Amino acid sequence: MAPADLHFQVPIAHWGWTIVWFLWFVGIAGMGSVGYFFVRKAALAYVIFGSLVLGLAFVVSHLGRWWNLPRTLWTMVTNGIFNWSSWMLVGIVLLSVHLILSVIVVASHIPWLQRIGWLKWTATLSRANAYLALYAFLGFMATVYSGFLLTQASGIPLWNTSLIPILWVVSGSIAAIAVIELLYVFGVVESSVSTLAVRLGLGLDAIKLLAVLAFLHVALAYGSAGARIGATAMASGEYALMTWGGVIGIGILVPIAIGLYTVLVKKSKPLLAISSIAALAGVFFLRAVVLLAGAWEPLVL
Amino acid sequence: MSTRLRKGQAPTKRMAHVWDASKCIACGACVMACTSTNNPDMMMREEKGWNSIASNIRRIDSVSAQGRPEVLLVQCQHCEDAPCLNTCPFGATYMDDNGMIRLDPRMCSGCSYCVTSCPYNVRWFHPDSKLPKKCMGDTCLELVDKGLQPACVQSCPAGARDYGDLNDPNSSVSVTLRTKRSRRLLENAGTEPKYFVVEGS
Repeated sequence: MAPADLHFQVPIAHWGWTIVWFLWFVGIAGMGSVGYFFVRKAALAYVIFGSLVLGLAFVVSHLGRWWNLPRTLWTMVTNGIFNWSSWMLVGIVLLSVHLILSVIVVASHIPWLQRIGWLKWTATLSRANAYLALYAFLGFMATVYSGFLLTQASGIPLWNTSLIPILWVVSGSIAAIAVIELLYVFGVVESSVSTLAVRLGLGLDAIKLLAVLAFLHVALAYGSAGARIGATAMASGEYALMTWGGVIGIGILVPIAIGLYTVLVKKSKPLLAISSIAALAGVFFLRAVVLLAGAWEPLVL
Repeated sequence: MSTRLRKGQAPTKRMAHVWDASKCIACGACVMACTSTNNPDMMMREEKGWNSIASNIRRIDSVSAQGRPEVLLVQCQHCEDAPCLNTCPFGATYMDDNGMIRLDPRMCSGCSYCVTSCPYNVRWFHPDSKLPKKCMGDTCLELVDKGLQPACVQSCPAGARDYGDLNDPNSSVSVTLRTKRSRRLLENAGTEPKYFVVEGS
């Protein structure tokens, strides 16, 4: 029997699809920056920058009072009120700095910009390992932040688990590998990089499968009533199709099957394209189910 | 007038709400008085997420295991360790020197983090201003500043509601809590709520 006080967060808090897109783009951009440290291709830099811009556009569009944001920031700075205990503020700072670093990396890849004398420093800086390590670190931290963003929302018991930041990093890494695979399909990345990425992706897919099942199992078996309500919606309720079909079927099993075929039989660009798109979709579905299934702890059962 | 507390500062008062469930007749006068006083524009509009009137007091109707109808009234608990205070990225949510959790609309961008952070699910979005509303509303704060009781206390025909300072041992809320059996909601959430449900003498 449903509790008398059953409320999912979307109709009340409105953390819906715009936040799902935001979390997805942050995952791609964040862990993509880690991938960029190793791959260093212009196309990847553009994907990271585009994902960051789109992610930020989605999150700002979600704000109920977006038009008040300049006043909010002005009041915050002039009054010296910085709530560093909020993961959201930490995230705003991380994403802002990451965006600036990303602009510099993108600028270093644009030939006509590099012909402008006073912009040549962007290429010099973007070739420095220390700079790219900072870029990768900030991307990693932005992905971690997007997990803690949910974990800190203590009204929603399903989210109050340390698994979410880890799951976000693992799935963000899978998304970054999928982007690199797609770049290989389009002839941007070398075959050797793609081969390594497929093997790495296989391992990460296995970890993601374990983490998703552990997330569901712990919430269903040992969670509070609110966590169980959310996990039930994911496992056998409203979002079951998205969980089993989208997150696990399309997002994990299809890439694992194609990855094993690639490693054991032969490499096929069309199959790798399917695998990459499936993996990216799975990362999106994962964020969607976890977000949409969030419910409050019932005050009355 | 109350002032905003900075980090590390302790409130001088600890204003608390008491709801005496043993006296409550579930008439809903407090719910209606809250909306008509603080958000009169919402009197004929619904809070779609709760599927009820948009009020700073949320009414939960249920049936006990023995089949008896029950009601629980929930509102902002003005927690001493309020999660919404920790999550608000811009410091729009703050505690004043009366120990009340308040919202500065100038600093709110409508991100909803306070809504998802509240374990009691008592914040709702005003459809026009997009502000996350909760107890106390602006008009009730004005009433309290004038030394009057908030609308819910004034309107309750059964005398089931009270509001006062926990730091004052002679306040009516302190006396009630000393002499009657009471509980707090989601005690194990660690939020130190200042909303007390009196269950009997």
